[in-house]
Amino acid sequence: MSGISRRKFLKSTVVAGGSAAAAMSSTKKAFAMKEFEGYPESMGVLVDLTRCIGCRTCEAACNKEHGLPEPALPFDDFSVFDQVFHEGKQKRRTTEKAYTVVNRYETKDQGAPVYRKLQCFHCSEPACLTSCFVNAYTKTKEGAVIYNADVCVGCRMCMVACPFSMPAYTYDSALHPQIIKCNFCYDSRLKNGKPPACVEACPQDALTFGHRKTLVKTAHERIKANPKKYVDHVYGETEVGGTSWMYLSSVPFDQVDFNTTLQHHPILDNTKSFLGIVPMVLGIWPAMFLGFHLLAKGGKGEKKDKESKNRVEVQGE
Amino acid sequence: MKSRKRWALKGTIVALCFLVAPAFGAGGEPPDSVRIDSLSHLYNGVDFDHELHVGVEEDCSVCHHHVFGNGVADKQCARCHSNSKGTTSVACRDCHVEDPFTVEYLTKMETDPNRYHVDITGLKGAYHLRCFTCHIEMEAPSECASCHERTDAGDRFYRSGKYAPTGGGTGGSHE
Ligand code: SF4
Ligand code: SF4
Repeated sequence: MSGISRRKFLKSTVVAGGSAAAAMSSTKKAFAMKEFEGYPESMGVLVDLTRCIGCRTCEAACNKEHGLPEPALPFDDFSVFDQVFHEGKQKRRTTEKAYTVVNRYETKDQGAPVYRKLQCFHCSEPACLTSCFVNAYTKTKEGAVIYNADVCVGCRMCMVACPFSMPAYTYDSALHPQIIKCNFCYDSRLKNGKPPACVEACPQDALTFGHRKTLVKTAHERIKANPKKYVDHVYGETEVGGTSWMYLSSVPFDQVDFNTTLQHHPILDNTKSFLGIVPMVLGIWPAMFLGFHLLAKGGKGEKKDKESKNRVEVQGE
Repeated sequence: MKSRKRWALKGTIVALCFLVAPAFGAGGEPPDSVRIDSLSHLYNGVDFDHELHVGVEEDCSVCHHHVFGNGVADKQCARCHSNSKGTTSVACRDCHVEDPFTVEYLTKMETDPNRYHVDITGLKGAYHLRCFTCHIEMEAPSECASCHERTDAGDRFYRSGKYAPTGGGTGGSHE
C-alpha cells in the first residue's frame, strides 16, 4: 500500500499548489513526446462476438472473483437483456457492482441476436491515466490499467476522459468514495500469469487470452479464414491508440453499440492541452471536494458501514 | 516410498487406459456413448450419446476434422488435409487442451516455428462451440440444462435456485 494518505495528499497539494501541477504536466508532456508503442509483453483478450451466446457466465465469474455485492437478479436470468435506460437509448452498463456486463442486440444485418460483453478496454495509452492529476492509475507491463484508491481524490476526471465511460464511482460511499472498474484481475490472476476469471469461465471460448501482439495476428487470421463471417475490422487494434481488449464481430460495430467515430491515435495527445487547465482544477478542487463530500453524506448510512469495513481490510494489507 | 511408487504406477496405467481407449476408435468401432466430465464443476458431466449423433450427422469430419484420414468436409481444412492419413487418436482432448491459457501453453503456441495451428480452442470451448452451434442450427435443445444438470456449486455461482438474490441488490443496472 502506498504510504501517502488522501488527507496528507490534500494538505501537500494545497500548499504546493500550482507549482506541483506545473511539474506534473511537464512529466506528462515528456511521456507524450516519445513514441510509446505499448508494452511489448502486454497481455490482452480477444472477444469474438460470433462465439458469444449471452450466457452471462463471465458476469457471474467476475462477481465471484471480486466478491462483488449480490446482483439484483440471478446471473441466469436473461430478462436483464431487456433492461434499457435513458428512454430506451442505453442498455446496461458497467457499475461499481458489476465490472462487466453482457448486452443483447437485435441487428438489421443478422437474424440471430448478437451479444456483446463490455468491460474496461485496458487501453495501451489510457485517457483515464493521463487525465488523472494525482497519478492514481497505472498501466502495468502485463497490460492491465489499475487504480489506486489511496491517492484518488474523487475528482472524477477519469470518468469524463475515458472514451468508453468505464470508470464507475461509489456515490453511495460517503467516507471513501472511489473509482471502480475492471482491473483485468491484476492482483489475483494476471500478475501471476493467469487469465482473468471471465476468460477462464467462458464456455464458448468467446474470450481468448494471450499476448496482445499475438492476438492481433490471431484476429486477422480468423477474419482471413472466414471473410464471410466477420466484418473486416479488429476493434481496439488502433482505436484510441490501441487497447488490450479487442473485438471481432459479424455485424458492423456501430450496430452493437461500439463508438466507431473514435480517433486512431491516443487520447493522450488531446489531454496535453487539457492539462493546461490543471492548475485551475487544483484551485477549485477543495471546494469541489467539500461539495461532493456533503452530497455523498446525504444518505445510505447502511451501505456506508459496509464500504468502510472493506476499506479497513484493504488498508490492513 | 515403495507403495507410493506402486500407486503412481497404477495411476499411470489407469490414465493410459483412458488415453488409449479412444484411439481404438480410429481403427475399430465407434463408441456408443462417451462420458464427458473432465471439466464438471458447475455442471455435472454429460453422457454423450455418440450413436445417436452418428445417426444425425454421417460425416464424421464435422466433429473429428481430418483425423480419420478419409477426407474433410471443410474447404479450409481440405487445402492441407485432403490427403492426410488417420491419426493414432481421435479424442477431442488430444488436441484441445483443458487449459489453453497457461504460460507454458501460450509460449509453446508462440515459439514453435513448425506449428501452423496456433489458434486452437480449449476443450471446454471445442465442446460447446461444436455442440451448441449445431444444436441451434438443428433446433435441438439448447438450454444449458438440456445437456447437463447444474450442481449445487453451479447454483451458488450463478446466484440461482436456493442462492437467488433476496432483493436489495442493484448490481448490473447502471447509474
Ligand atoms: S477503457 Fe477507459 S478506464 Fe479503461 S483504460 Fe481505457 S480510458 Fe482507462
Ligand atoms: S461467458 Fe462467454 S459466451 Fe457467455 S456471455 Fe460471457 S463472453 Fe458470452
